[in-house]
Amino acid sequence: MSSVQRRSFLKTTASVAAVSALPAARLDAQEAAPAATVVVVHGKDIPKMLAAGIAKLGGWEAFIKPGNKVVLKPNVAWNSQPEQGGNTHPDLIKACVLAAEAQGAAAINIPENTCHPEKATFKASGVEEALKGTKARLYRPAKEDYQKVEIPRGKIVKSADVPKDVLACDCLINMPVAKSHSATTLTLSMKNWMGSVSNETRRSWHRDGLHQCIADFSTFIKPKLIIIDATRIMLTKGPQGPGDMAVPNELILSTDPVAADAYAATLFKKEPFDIGYIKIAQEMGVGCGDLKRIKIERVEV
Amino acid sequence: MFTRRNLIRLLLLVACALLALGYVPEAWRPQSVLLPSLSPLLNLGGAAARHAAGAGVLLALPLLILPLFKGRAFCWRLCPMGFAAESVSRLNRRNAGLVRKVPFIGKGLALVMLGSAAAGYPVLLWTDPLCLFNGFFAAWRAPLAWASGATALGFVLILLTSLLAPNLWCHRLCPLGGLEEWLTQLGNRFRPARTPARPDAGIAGNVKVGRRVFLGFAAGGAAGLAYGKLKPGSARAAAFIRPPGAADQAFNALCSRCGNCMTACPYDLIVPDLGASGIDGLFTPVLKFRNQNSAQEQFCFQDCTACTHVCPSHALRPLKVAEKQQTAIGLARIDKKACIAWEKGEYCVVCQEFCPYQAIIESDHKKVKCPTVDEDKCRGCGACESQCPAQPIAIVVAGRNPQPRLAHPSPALLKE
Repeated sequence: MSSVQRRSFLKTTASVAAVSALPAARLDAQEAAPAATVVVVHGKDIPKMLAAGIAKLGGWEAFIKPGNKVVLKPNVAWNSQPEQGGNTHPDLIKACVLAAEAQGAAAINIPENTCHPEKATFKASGVEEALKGTKARLYRPAKEDYQKVEIPRGKIVKSADVPKDVLACDCLINMPVAKSHSATTLTLSMKNWMGSVSNETRRSWHRDGLHQCIADFSTFIKPKLIIIDATRIMLTKGPQGPGDMAVPNELILSTDPVAADAYAATLFKKEPFDIGYIKIAQEMGVGCGDLKRIKIERVEV
Repeated sequence: MFTRRNLIRLLLLVACALLALGYVPEAWRPQSVLLPSLSPLLNLGGAAARHAAGAGVLLALPLLILPLFKGRAFCWRLCPMGFAAESVSRLNRRNAGLVRKVPFIGKGLALVMLGSAAAGYPVLLWTDPLCLFNGFFAAWRAPLAWASGATALGFVLILLTSLLAPNLWCHRLCPLGGLEEWLTQLGNRFRPARTPARPDAGIAGNVKVGRRVFLGFAAGGAAGLAYGKLKPGSARAAAFIRPPGAADQAFNALCSRCGNCMTACPYDLIVPDLGASGIDGLFTPVLKFRNQNSAQEQFCFQDCTACTHVCPSHALRPLKVAEKQQTAIGLARIDKKACIAWEKGEYCVVCQEFCPYQAIIESDHKKVKCPTVDEDKCRGCGACESQCPAQPIAIVVAGRNPQPRLAHPSPALLKE
């Protein structure tokens, strides 16, 4: 064996060894560094809880710049009262709107395709009252307020009707309420988009495979921030209720919708991957739903 | 022509028309009941037939008392139908003599209407002028324009009689005018000095009038009873859905077709029936739930009682929200062959999601939740039908007539 041969042999062996060691090293790194962070704020004063959670994520300036067009997507779908947990808590929506105003947002739109007549719903939910005096605009999109968009990475959903305001905004914040759901077991942040798209779109999702469709849409819609209202949660009879309630007194904040949903599922004593859309969304690369790889930062207010 | 009196009549006509059209602030909408409720024929006739008298019957008092003292002042000074007929009559001055030759049919009509109402089955309520006036304008707001056009016909026909002979309707045909005429005569009897003597003012005349009134009532009563016994058609009770609070019996007779309920429905669900409720139920109100991609509700919302508060003849009883939520107007039925869950095994149960009464029971089949209707809880509101994503729709509401009161409490009310 010549020295040249020996050298090349050693080189090759070394590089093969290095390459084969790489995945293991990457795995180790993954175990060490979490793929997503979820901030869980526990307390009773919703505005203070929100402020504390946002501070953990770098403050509002990380999300809203002066002159931004902001869109909030709470869940205000049902003609039910705040304590019933059918809708996002009005205090939380108000706190977000006030923060956006303080950041100098140019517009704050809250398009919501309600399930009950919007007039009764906005009133009973307490949201209309909470938004009085702010510049937020809460409305139910009419046909002309929607725009059909392509969902390039969707397996089933190839296109969807999305409110124009949602498409045109600078900062999109998804702020659902966590609750049980007749069809999908739980409704969390990714499921919340069904209250944004048109009736035609959401009906087709029911026909075509609900969990896959919800995950498909999540490959397209990119909220900057997810705030899940788990101050009180409807354990049964969701999404409309009234049902049995629990009071975790938590707000769940994250920039990763899959991680936020995965943590929220644990409040209902569910395995995240038992919820179809969480599992599919992780497989499609929307985010991380594996609790072992999610860093949970707890804040007490 | 443009006297102060006519100006008042014109303003009143416009106001009544706007109310009937629903072109008023939303808080005023329920006031569309005011005009037709003024007619004792509709108001008292309906209340008598239904044995249901609320404070609303007081609205009939002015037209019962006024003629005793002022004759037909309402007809000549206020009635919007009368003003419309009189205005058209100005186009035609011929045939004035014809009016004198025609007998006062309206006086007989009034007696027949009240007599039959007392017998429990009012007939010809829809000939009331205030209801015809109202129906004409309400027709423009009803969802099925061409069919509801029929309720507009009465108004047009009255105007046509005015072209035949001036004021023929008011002087000879109008049943409300007829009632006012009877009451005027009654008033005159107590004040004979103030009015010129009439040929029938003597005792013999009184007997004659009394006999006529008796005969009119009796004829009405007989007609009402006959109508009740020999109801035409054999409508299938499940084929049509009535608005909540509908009378269990004689609905078709009680309904004056004034169109108020159709205009009042915020979701445009009430349409004129085209025969499902029987030939005598033509143009009575029925509910049609829709399943469209519109951003408007297409089911009978649990907190809404708008239609029940605008019925002048009590065919629809005024309901409180709690009563409405206990009233089953229909019953949902599932076609398993069309159902996404039952047939395809997909996650759906949108019907359960939207049901305000938690009346959809789930059962497992093909490893997904599948819906079944709980007949003790279903109110037939149509929330399921309006949202069902299956094509064709897999859950459809059939009517329940008479409408049962359900014992099961409404979950929607538990929050209070």
